[in-house]
Amino acid sequence: MKSQRENSIWSRALLVAGAVAALATFGATPSGAADKIVKVGITLPLTGADAEDATLIKNGALLAIEEANAKGGVAGYKIEPVIYDSGTATAGQYDPAQAATNTKKLAADPLVVANVGPQMSGEGKAMAPILSEADLATITPSSTNPDITNPAMAGQFRPKGKAIYFRTVTTDAFQGPNMANYVAQVLKVKTVYVLDDSGAYGVGIADAFQKQAEKIGIKVLGRDQLNPKEADYTTILTKIKSLKPDLLYYGGVAQAGVKLAKQAYDIVPKMLKAGGDGVQGASFLKGVGFPSADGWYATNASPHMLEDPAVKDWIERYKARFKVSPNDYSITSYDGALVVMDAIKRVAESGKEVNRSNVRDAMQATKLKTLQGELTFDQHGDLLSKVVSVFQYRHDAKFPDDDIIHQQKYEGVAPAGS
Amino acid sequence: MTIWDLLLQQIINGISLGAMYALLALGFTMVYGIIELINFAHFNVFMVGSFVALWVLQAMGIVGQSHPLFGLELIGVLLIALIATMVITGLIGVAIERICLRPMRNVPGTAAMITTIGVSYILFNLILLGAGADSKNYANPLPNVRWEIGEAVLRLREVLVWAVAFGLMFGLNFFVRRTKMGKAMQATAQDPEAAAMMGVDVDRVVVIAFFLGSALAGAAGLIFGLYYNYTSFIIGYTAGLRAFTAAVLGGIGNIPGAVLGGLLIGLIESLGGQFLAVRWTDVIIFSILVLVLVFRPAGILGRVAANRS
Repeated sequence: MKSQRENSIWSRALLVAGAVAALATFGATPSGAADKIVKVGITLPLTGADAEDATLIKNGALLAIEEANAKGGVAGYKIEPVIYDSGTATAGQYDPAQAATNTKKLAADPLVVANVGPQMSGEGKAMAPILSEADLATITPSSTNPDITNPAMAGQFRPKGKAIYFRTVTTDAFQGPNMANYVAQVLKVKTVYVLDDSGAYGVGIADAFQKQAEKIGIKVLGRDQLNPKEADYTTILTKIKSLKPDLLYYGGVAQAGVKLAKQAYDIVPKMLKAGGDGVQGASFLKGVGFPSADGWYATNASPHMLEDPAVKDWIERYKARFKVSPNDYSITSYDGALVVMDAIKRVAESGKEVNRSNVRDAMQATKLKTLQGELTFDQHGDLLSKVVSVFQYRHDAKFPDDDIIHQQKYEGVAPAGS
Repeated sequence: MTIWDLLLQQIINGISLGAMYALLALGFTMVYGIIELINFAHFNVFMVGSFVALWVLQAMGIVGQSHPLFGLELIGVLLIALIATMVITGLIGVAIERICLRPMRNVPGTAAMITTIGVSYILFNLILLGAGADSKNYANPLPNVRWEIGEAVLRLREVLVWAVAFGLMFGLNFFVRRTKMGKAMQATAQDPEAAAMMGVDVDRVVVIAFFLGSALAGAAGLIFGLYYNYTSFIIGYTAGLRAFTAAVLGGIGNIPGAVLGGLLIGLIESLGGQFLAVRWTDVIIFSILVLVLVFRPAGILGRVAANRS
């Protein structure tokens, strides 16, 4: 009897000891070096008129993160992407209010150390002040409105002072004016009618284009604003037809751009038409289709990299992973994620705590070789290199109609300067 | 382009736009005339109609921006698409009435109207989830036929919009004025209780009103798609709001008033855009609405309390 009781006591003691040991092991696991996590936000309008391109951009950032994780993470940290959709059904495209809500969610999670996005400047304007308060840096692969990084407007967009809005593209302060130079010098345009889509980006780039156009002697015959939710642009196009400008310049994104291009093909088929990066990409091309898209000029606020032999291998990896072709802003997005992870790596290796404030400081000091070349930022977050590429949609029947790589031709870099 | 050519072109644009608003406005006005309900689901029945028509066209093998057909084949394809779309959207309208609105018929207050807003959002999100958020390239069977009058251009698609819209409007007018069912509708509009006592099946009248209104919205969806070569899940809101404004402007509950209101709004939109700026379009339209309602609260052709004595 006694021995039995002793036995049972011993066995209980063993059980307890085992349980304690097990608990201790459980407790120890999360602090093991291999499983440290930091989160990186990805905020893009994945619903609505710009969803097509936003998805290509999201893929770029995801690819960079997945590749880094597959190599064992960044300085011992596994990078966890946190994806938020800033497009809403009500807006039918990007929604600044949703972008702000998403940013607050990111700011509330202490593990989030940086963000990649947004796609649109309208989102960026809503996000920047919140990011500044949280000392959380973002890097945008495509939003080009200059106000957000303009030091004169720092009170509005970065009230806490430090740059938190970095870009892997240049801004409309170059995209609009350089395109004005291009149409004057290369296309010999003398008169223009300017339209915008009433969004932050559209108004900004149209203003910048118009100002430079006037400066270099292009006559601006008129300026009007489209309601992106309206379907009918025949009225304004009829008016433009009667004024006979050499060029119709449209500052804006796909939602209004698609309808404008289709109706313009009917009403002013022979007029030259051009836009910014809002009409450069898969959303515009797929929505407009051929023959209506044929002949439109578009720009990108980045160098053209898809035909660069150095990027060929990357394109194959992208296609293998996502089963679609990337666009140039997939590359700037990939580069953006590289910048973020490089900053995390430098913070971790310097022995400092990997938090958003240190990551921001490290991003500011970036000097990194990426797909588009070496990236460095000025103290406001803008790229030091400022390249604007010009494209023209030209139908190539050998390829599918929505193949963005083959249905447009790279025309060169838009000339800078006055 | 002389000013007269320009004016003519903008009038052509305005009438095409107005004809679509008028077709949509008829749906608002019929339902309101009979059960005094503003049916906000109508916005998106129109949108669903443009998708249904697109799918019907695609099912007939018409894909892409330029797939021109001619003669009888063109007329046949358009008629099939029109009839199929109208029947399907008409049935959607009937389902909305039967499932969501009839149980609320005698609930006082705004419950039924709020329900229609809910139904509108359900349709909107169903299409968003089912068809995706991108702008759709509409199937286009119309050959590029155009007539030039001076420098103004009249295209086949405008003629088509006018023919379908005005054909249906005259058909509806005939139905309401000349047929027995139409007279039952008029009687129900004037006094549902008295009509019921005279042997009119009020439920049936309401169902027919929903069917016709929604079928017209479907037709508007088809001609919208063919005219703009585009559709998207968000087209219901702006067009629906303008059409509702047209119904109120013309006198809600009044069928000729809805047509007049639609055409007026289309013309205001195109001429306002020409002579002021398109960014002022909404300001102009809604200012005129406010002015009309201040001086004629029942709308241009409406009479105050015409429906209830």
